[in-house]
Amino acid sequence: MSVSVLKSNGLPSQLRGLRARLYSTRKGEVSSSDPQKDILRRHLYPPNIRNKASPTGTWRPDVARALQRAIPSVQAHETIERAWLLHQRHLRKKRDAELQRKFNCMRQAMQELEEIDSRLFREANKQEDPRARSLAEVEAMKSMSEPEKRAVESRVGGLFPRELRIPTDTPPKNGWPNEWRAFQRPLA
Amino acid sequence: MFSRTVLSSCKRAPQACLFRRFATEASAAHEVTQVDAALSKKTARPNLHTGIILNRSPIITRTPTPFEKAYYAYQTRIHRALHNPFPYDFYFKQGSPLESRFNIEERRRERKAFGAPFGMQTGETSEAEKLAEATMRDEEEAMPRVHEADINSDFKNLNRRGQRNLYLLLQKQENGTAIWKFPQGSVDRGELLYHAATRGLEVECGNNMDTWIVSRNPIGVFHPPSPASTGGAEEDVVFFYKAHIMAGQVRPNRTHTQDFAWLTKGEIKTRVDEDYWLGIKDILSDF
Repeated sequence: MSVSVLKSNGLPSQLRGLRARLYSTRKGEVSSSDPQKDILRRHLYPPNIRNKASPTGTWRPDVARALQRAIPSVQAHETIERAWLLHQRHLRKKRDAELQRKFNCMRQAMQELEEIDSRLFREANKQEDPRARSLAEVEAMKSMSEPEKRAVESRVGGLFPRELRIPTDTPPKNGWPNEWRAFQRPLA
Repeated sequence: MFSRTVLSSCKRAPQACLFRRFATEASAAHEVTQVDAALSKKTARPNLHTGIILNRSPIITRTPTPFEKAYYAYQTRIHRALHNPFPYDFYFKQGSPLESRFNIEERRRERKAFGAPFGMQTGETSEAEKLAEATMRDEEEAMPRVHEADINSDFKNLNRRGQRNLYLLLQKQENGTAIWKFPQGSVDRGELLYHAATRGLEVECGNNMDTWIVSRNPIGVFHPPSPASTGGAEEDVVFFYKAHIMAGQVRPNRTHTQDFAWLTKGEIKTRVDEDYWLGIKDILSDF
């Protein structure tokens, strides 16, 4: 395997093997009328090169040296893998225990509610229909402006609201939106 | 068990008993509520309250532990050594500044992964590369993960502790002492619990928040110790509902509450009464 430092523009030497036949094209079809198509074809169907280590050019030219730098030894690699799996197991057990505690709290609450008042219990157990509109909602919608109507319609019952933000690596530029126009949502 | 009692009370209200519809609209439950109201008046019913656990979810991802960081770096190195060739000429046009910028960043990543001989540039820098380097220097940086509210310990600020779950706690006067607890409201006659929860939250914390109560089910129950003689007829039960805040800030009702704070689970433990803590600790998220 050739031990070569990266090429002049610092990228793997793929264009070198281009003199090989592209078997994905018919005779005489290889033309440079659409270079994008050629590039795509070259990457999707790599040529069958028999004198390289892998026909699809999987490895970089200096893969042996790179791997030597990356992996210290077989035993070290296995130890690291075992340590990681153990760590994942600890996290999983912790997460499951927390969920179990929360679920037990919920179950306790529902049991007590059933004993106290069966109507409230039945109402609490009802499945939310995303398409249903309660009477209170319909009444309130009649006297609302367009943006308010859209706000009510976008908050679908039983589904997560769109405004619930997914955590990112860095916080938003403007921070937490402290200013929010007070809006009375009709009871669902 | 329930059906027998319905049939027995049907002698008094024959129209009500067989008329049950499973609609989500509140009006349809009228006939059934008449029967239920008759039943519930018989047994001694405790006073119902709804508490709201208003949660601000994490804003930023968790910081990986040193072990996790080292493992991710290790895996990155192995993947970098073994991965399929990247189709760079499909994504970057030859000679464009974006390509030069990619080359610079790629060489930096190589050097970081494997060390000095890798990722060294042979040949001279072209015009496009010099331009790309200049633009990369001028670029603005992302916001820091630690907010000034963390440094100042501003408990009212919702930017504090971006990685953790924050919960709203209100300070109220009860029997002369100041007590920290979750916002609480009473349940009116015939009102559903989660309607009472929304109403209670609005009364105690104001309307200037975009909140969402997660479900119709309560997530926990708490029996506050009754100050009157033990075994008294009047009992209090608090059903907790979980809600999320997505925008806005609390404007507490000055008559009920003196103070409010957005706290993590550990901070709640230090402020709240012991028996209250034992009742709520399993409902809250650890991190």
